[in-house]
Amino acid sequence: MILNRENTIDSLKNNRIEERNGIKFQEFPFVNKINIRIDPEDKNQMSICGKILDTILPLIPNTYVENHSVKIVWLSPNEWLVINGNDDLFNKLQNKIGDNDASVTDVTENRTVIRISGKKIFKLLSKFLVLDLEKSLKDQSSSAQTLFVKVPVLLLKISNNQTPEIDIFANRSHANFIYNLLKDGSKNLDF
Amino acid sequence: MFLINCPYCGERDQAEFSCGGEAHITRPKNPPELTDDQWADYLFMRKNIKGIQFERWNHSNGCRRWFNVVRNTSTDEIIKVYNIGESPPNINGNNPSTPSGEPIIGSGNISTTFEKK
Repeated sequence: MILNRENTIDSLKNNRIEERNGIKFQEFPFVNKINIRIDPEDKNQMSICGKILDTILPLIPNTYVENHSVKIVWLSPNEWLVINGNDDLFNKLQNKIGDNDASVTDVTENRTVIRISGKKIFKLLSKFLVLDLEKSLKDQSSSAQTLFVKVPVLLLKISNNQTPEIDIFANRSHANFIYNLLKDGSKNLDF
Repeated sequence: MFLINCPYCGERDQAEFSCGGEAHITRPKNPPELTDDQWADYLFMRKNIKGIQFERWNHSNGCRRWFNVVRNTSTDEIIKVYNIGESPPNINGNNPSTPSGEPIIGSGNISTTFEKK
């Protein structure tokens, strides 16, 4: 059990939402995350995994799938990230597929999630990313691993309606750096 | 800066990738039988061609997969991207003219004549 868990961004403690120039910032610091590595050619392991997660692992690069409880993000051809999985799910996966041919790792403490929402978030992110956002995060359920300035991040497009939302998964030690840059960048988005 | 077409993630900025150096270097089958020179040649000696070079690249800030790239080092033009384990494509013209029109023999081009032992 981990004691004294803390938010990484002070001003977003206790689910506080900050708003700057029409862009909302929120932090989800303790989202459960499980990293799974399986050979995608191993139909048996893939099938077991699909049954436990109640959905199939996405095989299309840079996408994610979701069901009633979890999101599963494609990270590489043999690696996926399960978001929101509880301890029970982790134990089930560990017991069923965590043998020598696969790996199941709890990576909850690795990254925090900064959610940004607002009409101009693409404009804001384009100041810091080396990614063509219009191409990479165009569709619903798209994801991208890229660099935010020089920090590796995972981006998930959450909603495709009038107010787009993007979850930024970043190392906890870099979260403040990213948040401060985003906050600063949101001052001038009318170019 | 240039764009690389990752076989999995598609076209991404070069900043997301790491270059792993020359491709298609085979580990000797019996290292104890090699001389120090031969072992050093395998470990350290790499071509640094000004022209078309076969390289390994890793999408280190993306899907973290290795793949091979044929790149013109003088123009950064990516000629072909292919998977690890595939045979190198037959691409001719190892001495393309440079954008600045430098002579073939010159300080910058001397490595084109380098031959591995």
